[in-house]
Amino acid sequence: MTAAYSGWVIAAALLLALAGIVTAVRDRTMGVVLLGGLALLEVALLVQAGIALSGIGHVREKATFIGYLAGTLVIPPAAVWWGMAERTRWGPGVIAVAGFTVAVMTGRLMQIWNGAA
Amino acid sequence: MTQGEPQVRSGPGRLLVAVYGVFALAATSRAGVQIATKFAEAPLAYLLSAFAAVVYIVLTVALARNNRRVALAACSIELAGVLIVGTLSLADSQAFPDATVWSGYGSGYGFVPLLLPVLGLVWLLRRRRPAA
Repeated sequence: MTAAYSGWVIAAALLLALAGIVTAVRDRTMGVVLLGGLALLEVALLVQAGIALSGIGHVREKATFIGYLAGTLVIPPAAVWWGMAERTRWGPGVIAVAGFTVAVMTGRLMQIWNGAA
Repeated sequence: MTQGEPQVRSGPGRLLVAVYGVFALAATSRAGVQIATKFAEAPLAYLLSAFAAVVYIVLTVALARNNRRVALAACSIELAGVLIVGTLSLADSQAFPDATVWSGYGSGYGFVPLLLPVLGLVWLLRRRRPAA
């Protein structure tokens, strides 16, 4: 994992969370922008997982690390599914939660990667 | 689910299900790793972590399945847990050498564990009145 790449992932996830909040405040349902954003985020997370797994020997707490990694990959698809099911402003609300969660989890991944507890 | 019964899971409820789902996942994996790798270091804290994880799982499922009664009970237990464990962790830090989700009223998680049960109870009770 590289700090530069994961920094961008965190920024993108937070941006998506912000877009979700804005959409919810404007009382809109999930649209193309949020859907595309989630898809892009998932691709970015898959790349991140590839980078991380190629250097997994470096990590001491492997179980925790892989758990977080898998968690980040599951969240965007779950958010898409929920955004489609909930056709009110609360759909984008869930997407905001998803974006924020991915940002926090990526931050934790960086900490574990760098050897912090 | 009978017709006309107010939905617990849709609307704002869906947000609660999402957040509780994240916490259920986080607490379960944390407790699992703690108990599997270093249980002897802080048995009480780790058992409480596991208990918190179970409460979060029950809440997620109960909310998602529109089971208001179970959700209310679990929410109350959660609130009591946060308050009791939070107070104990500050009063007797010896017993809690390692953090749980509920230590310091959930300060390690941005106090979300303290806020969640309150929001959950507000949501569950608010929807009861306009049931007719």
